[in-house]
Amino acid sequence: MNSNLVIIIAAQAIFYGTPLFFAALGGVFTERSGVLNLGVEGMMLVGGVSAAWASQHIGGTAWVTVLGSLLVAMFAAGLVAAVHAFLCVTLKANQTVAGLSITIFAGAVGLSSYLANVWHVAEQKVPRQLVKLDLFGLADAPIVGPLLFDHTVLTYVSWVLCAVSSWYLFRTKIGLQLRAVGESPQTADAIGINVVKYRYVHTILGGTLAGLGGAFYSLAIVPTWVDGMTKGAGWIAIALVIFGFWRPDLTLLGAYLFGALQALGIQLKTRDVSIPGDLLDALPFVMTIVVLVLVSTRFAHKRIGAPAALGVPYEREER
Amino acid sequence: MKSPVRLERRLEQPRQLSWIIPLVSLLGALVVGAVVLLATGKNPLDVYWRMLDRGFFSQRALTGTLRTATPLAFTGLCAAASFRLGVINIGGEGQLYVGAVGAALVGLWMGGSVPVGVTIIVMILAGMLFGAMYAAFVGVLRAQFNTSEIITSLMMNYLAGILLNYLIFNSSSYWRDPRSFGFPSGKPLDKRDYWPAFEFGGLSVPIGLLIAIAAAVVLWVVYKRSRLGFEISVIADSPRAARYVGIRTKMTIISVTALSGALAGAGGASQVGDFAHYLDAKGLQLNNFGYTGIVVAALARLSPLGAVLVAVLLGGLTNAGYSLQGPDFPSGLVGTLQGLILFCAVAGEILTKYRLRSNRAGQAVTA
Amino acid sequence: MTGIAVRMSGVVKRFPGVVANDGVELEVRKGEVHALLGENGAGKSTLSNILTGLYRPDEGSIELNGETVSFASPREALDAGIGMVHQHFRLVQPFTVAENVVLGNPETPFSIDADSISAKVSELAGRFDMAVDPNARIWQLSVGEQQRVEILKVLHRGAQVLILDEPTAVLTPIEAEALFRTLRTMTAEGRTVIFISHKLDEVMSVSDRITVLRGGRTVGTVDTRSTSTRELASMMVGRSVEFTRVTRRNPGDRNNVVLSVDGVSGNDDRGRRALHQVSVSVGRGEIVGVAGVAGNGQRELAEVIAGMRASTEGTVTVGGVAVPSGKARAAIAGGVAHVPEDRLHTGLAAGLSVEDNMALKTYRTPLLSRFGMLRRGAIAEQAAGLVERYDVKTPGTATPVRLLSGGNVQKVLLSREFSTEPKVLVAASPTRGLDVGAIETVRARLVEAADSGVGILLISEDLEEIMSLADRITVMYEGRLVADIPAESANREQIGLLMGGASPEGAQ
Repeated sequence: MNSNLVIIIAAQAIFYGTPLFFAALGGVFTERSGVLNLGVEGMMLVGGVSAAWASQHIGGTAWVTVLGSLLVAMFAAGLVAAVHAFLCVTLKANQTVAGLSITIFAGAVGLSSYLANVWHVAEQKVPRQLVKLDLFGLADAPIVGPLLFDHTVLTYVSWVLCAVSSWYLFRTKIGLQLRAVGESPQTADAIGINVVKYRYVHTILGGTLAGLGGAFYSLAIVPTWVDGMTKGAGWIAIALVIFGFWRPDLTLLGAYLFGALQALGIQLKTRDVSIPGDLLDALPFVMTIVVLVLVSTRFAHKRIGAPAALGVPYEREER
Repeated sequence: MKSPVRLERRLEQPRQLSWIIPLVSLLGALVVGAVVLLATGKNPLDVYWRMLDRGFFSQRALTGTLRTATPLAFTGLCAAASFRLGVINIGGEGQLYVGAVGAALVGLWMGGSVPVGVTIIVMILAGMLFGAMYAAFVGVLRAQFNTSEIITSLMMNYLAGILLNYLIFNSSSYWRDPRSFGFPSGKPLDKRDYWPAFEFGGLSVPIGLLIAIAAAVVLWVVYKRSRLGFEISVIADSPRAARYVGIRTKMTIISVTALSGALAGAGGASQVGDFAHYLDAKGLQLNNFGYTGIVVAALARLSPLGAVLVAVLLGGLTNAGYSLQGPDFPSGLVGTLQGLILFCAVAGEILTKYRLRSNRAGQAVTA
Repeated sequence: MTGIAVRMSGVVKRFPGVVANDGVELEVRKGEVHALLGENGAGKSTLSNILTGLYRPDEGSIELNGETVSFASPREALDAGIGMVHQHFRLVQPFTVAENVVLGNPETPFSIDADSISAKVSELAGRFDMAVDPNARIWQLSVGEQQRVEILKVLHRGAQVLILDEPTAVLTPIEAEALFRTLRTMTAEGRTVIFISHKLDEVMSVSDRITVLRGGRTVGTVDTRSTSTRELASMMVGRSVEFTRVTRRNPGDRNNVVLSVDGVSGNDDRGRRALHQVSVSVGRGEIVGVAGVAGNGQRELAEVIAGMRASTEGTVTVGGVAVPSGKARAAIAGGVAHVPEDRLHTGLAAGLSVEDNMALKTYRTPLLSRFGMLRRGAIAEQAAGLVERYDVKTPGTATPVRLLSGGNVQKVLLSREFSTEPKVLVAASPTRGLDVGAIETVRARLVEAADSGVGILLISEDLEEIMSLADRITVMYEGRLVADIPAESANREQIGLLMGGASPEGAQ
């Protein structure tokens, strides 16, 4: 393997890791508020199909179309997330069942596929794709060019978003209150923080980010609409949230690690190297299980910060 | 800001709720579904009628429905078995795959050398064993380290899918048909080992479905009549009470998770023996039987016999979807409707625990 | 009106079935430590919850600095300068001390800088003589340090009146000393402290004035300097209530020991030592009362005897046979019956039927199950028999226990425990929360069981109950059993002093 291949794989890792990061970052926000979202896959697919549809229907310059498509994707997925929030927060439903029903409803054999059919999305190409931007004309620079300056606009956005989210979660009052809601809604409620509002806002925010991730598939990776095109990326995103210890920065690294495994598999396949690609596919899941076991020990739990109230509906004590 | 209604905890659960709520949920889903259909330019009554017709109203339709219902019954029982204890095993999907791997292994190995009755029993047992072991891993992690079984069982679904791909597409394993070069596929069972179906005047009932019904009855008996079932209900109701009377909670969690996996594994065995007759890596992954099983269990409110019934209902819906699929009956509609039914069931479940109360008058407005 | 920080007059608060406060009068001067003394159930917690806006009073008025106020929520009370430090801390475990302190303060700036909030909290802690590292995470702190964080939270919000609910219950004596110093620095700054307690010695040492509550009413307010623990004890427990000792058909035989606890130590759920080499014995047919305020190790003692909790040292012997530690099934088989404090969720599985609950301890016996299968008929029969014999009012044996009234819940529990034909019964607060009729029934059942030879360890906060039922009385205080007094020679005042932590010599 020469250094050239390493750079190609690294650059592709960033490419494939970007949608994973968006979906996982959404998961970080949602889970930090104490809501478990197993509907990510469905939300991504709804985002993907809406983006593809919008890019076929919004006219104007390439920029307007792409931006419009992304907003439509965020809106549609956010709407699905609002249903999840209603079930989990207002109705205090079992969050696992609610999330799974979101994925069944919206997923590969559900609404996303239905909408693709009635909107005839799959029959046409996606006219305006998310293209790579040669930032500062440096894309051809050795090493740093492909790594840092030859990506789609969403990748650049994701870097900004990663920094902003870290700041939001750990350096602002709202972030502090959000984490308090996910850790101990009783405490938060007692000091006057509106638990319901925080959970709604961040569940919907998480949905919009999952929608962006889905749009990345239909506008950049594939780039056209295919039923079930995310192929389980939503589940990997859920794993990534744990893998990244509920922190945006580590989640970004994790997304690139998982993206690298994907890129490596593709490179090996095209080069006919006989390392079983399945092993690479399996690694993210195995690693997630190992990490999960490690963080569930009491010792690690307190240090790493799985939100203590994750998945638990909040009910005010009444006398 | 005060909402006009609020939820209030129910003290009593009237008995009739157990059938009123699923029924109301189903109706609610149909109404919401109708709105979706209308919004996308379809005639809901027409769609519903055709689904009933193609799902249930002919012997051919019904045969197809039972075929789809069989794996759903097993995965539904799988989910119901563990959910009852409060263990959320959503790994029925993977446990079904692994069960199919185990059953195909012994099925291929026996190669028609023994009577088919023996084959069936051995394949079922192998499927159950493989499914149970696969699930027990999740149970052990939960019991020993308190690791969330939700995520681990989910991850293991993907691992099982990767295993299937490896066995059939990416290796020359025992399960792969050596004669299939261009398009890799599983090695077929000996014709003598195909599981027979029971014919009732044109309607063909797969033996797997009968086994699922038997399993549901056994499960019902275990829950209602056995010491294990008694202990499960105590743990589910109050872990502290379980500690108070000295029930071995960890061991119970592991055994119930294994039992749950065994049921999904039996479903995998039935997929091989009843229908595909080889390890169908693609077909198994295509249908989301495991995930739909969770819908089945939720709609059946975790009742084993109810799960079989709901499996037939959802099987009909799915089967109608297959046979109607075309330009004016898009794929995805079935999943959408299933999702809506599930939403309504989830929302309806709330009404068993709470009731709506008006904040102003302070009196119950609905049951 | 200067000088008076808080005045509550004629405060009445009713809950379904109970009047928790029945015309309470309280007057707290600015800059003093005012103790609110009373037994559990005297109405202290309700009163403080009213003052902090958690409950609204049914009658009566509250004045703060001479102005009538009414709070709709704890937040409003905090805004007005009244802060409460609860017994159960409300802290976010993975957060730092500083983060917890600034979390609920509306004046916290949007952008949070870890160094500057640490510095601020550090300064605040120093001002009130509190040793706590602002950058430490809550889970790293001892209970005493966590309490300081709670106090800092309230101070940071600018509270002028601080209410501390049983603050020393969770502290070591050294930590308690530190707390008292902190309270002094607060009052020196002009802040007011309301100190809720049932411990006489500490009330004497920390407070300026003391208001004693009993049965939801104010008994009186006294100057600390002009009173004594003896006077306070008699105010707290009262003399007026007449009680009669029950008459026993068969008196207990203290020499024929059925339960012997020897030098048992154990930890509570948080891993803190809750039992310090406790020894007690119960004879055949004897009722031994364990008096004491809840939270002094009673629950742990009961659970160790019942096999629910492993002991760290010492042995439990039932009928001459040692019971292995931490094995509930072995304890049940050895003849230990247990009525836990938490009837509905520990002693019973509330969502299950009366029938199932009555079989909870005996379902493994050959009578009720064979080859792993339950004998439903036998279980129903047993339940029907017990319902009839113990006069349980229930629509049927299939009714979930959760739907029964408190008295009937306890009857289900008792009937099941007696159905195991125990040698020993450990009963923790068996009549708490029950109505008068049910209390009588439960007590009668206990006496009946003792008459038939069961040795009973009766753990109760209700002094009257212990004095009227027990043959011998011992008192639990801070994980130790102090004194062993024959019931005939016991008096309320003496036991009240022991419950408040006085040494047995001093209480003579």
